[in-house]
Parts: sequence; C-alpha cells; structure tokens
Amino acid sequence: MNSELKRLATPGSEITVLNPNARHNLGVGIFHDCTIRFEGSVGYYAASLLDGPEVIIEGNAGWAVGDNLMNGKITVTKDAGASAGSTMRGGELVIGGDAGARAGISMKGVTLVIGGNAGFLTGFMMQKGRIIICGDAGDAVGDSMYEGTIYVAGEIASLGADATTEEISEDELIDILTVLEAQGITDKRSFTKVVSAKRFYHYDSLERLEKSAL
Amino acid sequence: MCGVSGILHKNLAAGDGLPSIGDQLIRMLEPLTHRGRDSSGVTIVGERPDGDMIVRIWTESAREAEDVLVRVEETIQRAGGVVCSSRRTEQFLRLVVNFEGEPSELAADLLETPGVALHSIGHTSEVIKDVGTPVAMDQRHSIGGIRGTHGIGHVRMATESRVDVNHAHPFWAYPFPDVSVVHNGQLTNYHKLRRMYEDQGHHFQTGNDSELIAVYLADKLARGEGLDDALQASLNDLDGTFTYLVATRDGLGYAKDQWSAKPLVTMETDDVIAIASEEIALRGVFDQEIDRVEPQKSEVMTWLL
Repeated sequence: MNSELKRLATPGSEITVLNPNARHNLGVGIFHDCTIRFEGSVGYYAASLLDGPEVIIEGNAGWAVGDNLMNGKITVTKDAGASAGSTMRGGELVIGGDAGARAGISMKGVTLVIGGNAGFLTGFMMQKGRIIICGDAGDAVGDSMYEGTIYVAGEIASLGADATTEEISEDELIDILTVLEAQGITDKRSFTKVVSAKRFYHYDSLERLEKSAL
Repeated sequence: MCGVSGILHKNLAAGDGLPSIGDQLIRMLEPLTHRGRDSSGVTIVGERPDGDMIVRIWTESAREAEDVLVRVEETIQRAGGVVCSSRRTEQFLRLVVNFEGEPSELAADLLETPGVALHSIGHTSEVIKDVGTPVAMDQRHSIGGIRGTHGIGHVRMATESRVDVNHAHPFWAYPFPDVSVVHNGQLTNYHKLRRMYEDQGHHFQTGNDSELIAVYLADKLARGEGLDDALQASLNDLDGTFTYLVATRDGLGYAKDQWSAKPLVTMETDDVIAIASEEIALRGVFDQEIDRVEPQKSEVMTWLL
C-alpha cells in the first residue's frame, strides 16, 4: 500500500484511500505537495515523516499520527491516539476530536490543534511551537516543556512539572482565533496560556569550585 | 510489547445460542500479531460443560502424554471426582469433571501429579494457550468453534520470563476457578508481592510477573471484594507498567496504569463491549467504522453479566 501511495504521490496529485480499516503506517515518508484522503480510520504512525502533502483522515487515528511532520497539513476528523504530532517540526496537525496521552510530545515547531479534549501529559517536553486545545486538558499539561506555548479553552486538570500559566496578549489571541477560524471553530474566545516556568533550566556549566574561584 | 483483547456480550437471552467467542477473539488477535509472535492464548467463558468443571493441563513430554492423562484421571477419581470426558491434543489435555469438593483441593492434588502443568480449572471457563501466532493456535486447537458469553486473548512478545507454553498468557489464578488475566507491561514489584503471597501460602506455577496479577485479583475476589474494587486497588498495589484484562465467571474488566504506558481502546454498544490494544483489532469484530474510546491513565472499567 505504501509503495503504491509513494508511486501515485507526485506533485499536485490527489489520492483517495478507501477502507483503510485502521491499518498501521499508512501514507508515510511522502515529500511532495499532493493531497491524500483516507476515507476511514487509520492505525499507528499514519501520515508520519511527511514533508509537503496535505493529508485528510476521515475517522480516527492511532498512536503517533503525524510523527516528525516537517511540512504540510494533516487533519484527523475524529479522535487521535497517544503521542499525536510527536516531534513535529513544521506544518500543521489538526485533530477534530479528542487526543490521547502525550499529544505534541517533544514537538519542535508550528501548530497542533486539538478540537476536543487533550489527554495526560499533553506537550510533554515540547521545545517549540504551539498546541491549541479547544476542550479540556488532562493531568500534567506541559510537563517538563522547554519552550513553546499551550493554549487551553476548557478546564486544566493539572499543570505538569515546571509548567506555569501567564497572561495571553491580544495579538496572540487574535492569532489563535484566526487559526481556529480556518478550521471552522468559532465558539472558543478565551484561553489559558501555559508556558515553561524555566525553573529546570541549568545552563550554568561552571563547577562549584570554579564558581568559588571567581 | 504484547497485545490484549477482550469481548463480552451483555444481553444474551436464555435460549439463544451462545456466540462464537473463540472465533471473535482470534479475529481480534490476528491483526495484533505484529505486537508479539512468541505465544498466544485465550480464555473463553460461558458455556456450561457436561459436568461441574473443565480442567486444562499441559504436559512437557509428548512421549508420556498418554500416561499423564491416565495419572490425571486416577488423581481425580482418588479425590472423589468423576471424569465425564477427556481429550488429548498432543501434549494438551482437556477433562470435564464432576467434583463436589473444594476446587482448590482438586487443584492441589492435580499439581502434585507428575508431569502436570495446570492451565486452568473453571466451572464455565477454560484457558487455551500455545507458542506461536493466534492463527497457528487456532489451527491446532480449533478455538474458532468454542462458544461463550465472554473471553480474553493475548499475543506475547516476551520480556520478563521464558518463552514456552506455560509462560503464554492468559494466566490462570491457581487455585481459584474461573479467574484469569492477560497483561501488557512489566511489574517492577513482582518479587516483593510474590514473596508476600507465598508467605500467605499461595503457589505460583511460573516465573512470569503477569501470573501475579491473576493471583492478586483472585485472592481479593475470594475475600469477598467486588471485581471493580479489586481492580481499583491494583492501581496502587501494582508498580510498573500495565494494561491488563481480567475474565471471571461472570465478568470482564480492564485496568490501565498511572503512566498510560500501554495502549488500549474500547468499543461499547448496547449489546457488546470489545476491548483491544489497537483499533485494528476491534475492526476484527466490527465491520464498519467505529467511535472507539481510548482510556487514559489510572482507569478501571468492569462489566458484570
């Protein structure tokens, strides 16, 4: 299936996959601007390692959808399993429904939108980019995040280690609303902003004795 | 990595034929084969045998299997039981027994019979497990034809103990009838808890950490705790990573650890609850697209018939 997809996925092409039946590793490693539509749910690592395509998954996705996305757009119309958008660096990943645990784990850029609720450890160790959650967020939001921002429209069960909240600026809010509007989401107007408190940052590389010598 | 699956039919009317739980479990396990090819197994619950209990035994020596069957029948008769029927598939023995005493006493007698590894004793349940894939297991043991109300299944990629028939899942909770478990994960306080249970007189048949979960739950059930309470308590008492399913005579349940480390999805309708490591397994029993639920962390659910 993947060899056939690779063969068909030439620049500008439009491909529809019928009855994916929640099978794993579908539509991975495609580097052209093309459109791939899955009419049904997909399994683990769907639309991973992409650089360019637009992928629409009409159904659920399993663990790690959009893993290491470099560029392009992935839309999942229903729920995603754990680790959605893990290590993504570019492009955009939109989950229409709920996301499982650890969405956006170690993400390194751009935008992850979760239309429903987000699970445990969302944004775990994220390094850059933003996660916009339209519903509620589970425990340990932003645990051990380095950089980046998580916006939550609903309730936050608990903040993770070294995560904190801060005021959202008007420009940021306009930016988020623009992103959501493009997805047809217009009923969310206020968000809690979660960032790293950076108390875990220890960039001082001097040894104790070196410090005392200064 | 391992794969788990479970299914329970909620509204079976008396007089209706029971569904082919064996077939449904194999259809759910086959798409999970990539999660483990070392061994496979199922517990199928619900069909009344022509007798009080089903006894499932494995014996190591193919050459002596027929002799072991004779010894097992003698043990049952000495204990005051009656062997209603017995069947041998290579090294696997299946006996239906009439026995009015304590099942645990019969279990102890059987365990002392040379050559016997007890895979299960149940009033309406039996554990069938083997090395290899679910499809190979089905071919060898004709699991597809076994009917019931509910069941659990497993494919194993071994991490914690040896690969052989006895270390395949499900693990039956010796000597408690009709309690068995399939587990994906690793327990880190296995030795500590095992020593505690051994001090209380419990016996373990294998060196596998998952057997402990079965004994842990069966012990609580035997003390009168409800299935849901027992599973809830396990979230604190078991350390490590786990997503496990338990089957009892009248129930099915799952527990998922505090780290959300191992996958699980469920699909429930008015008539059936299906549970598996991955959605692709659920699609083995649901032809159409489904709205599956992914449990998060520290979650327990149970269903009682």
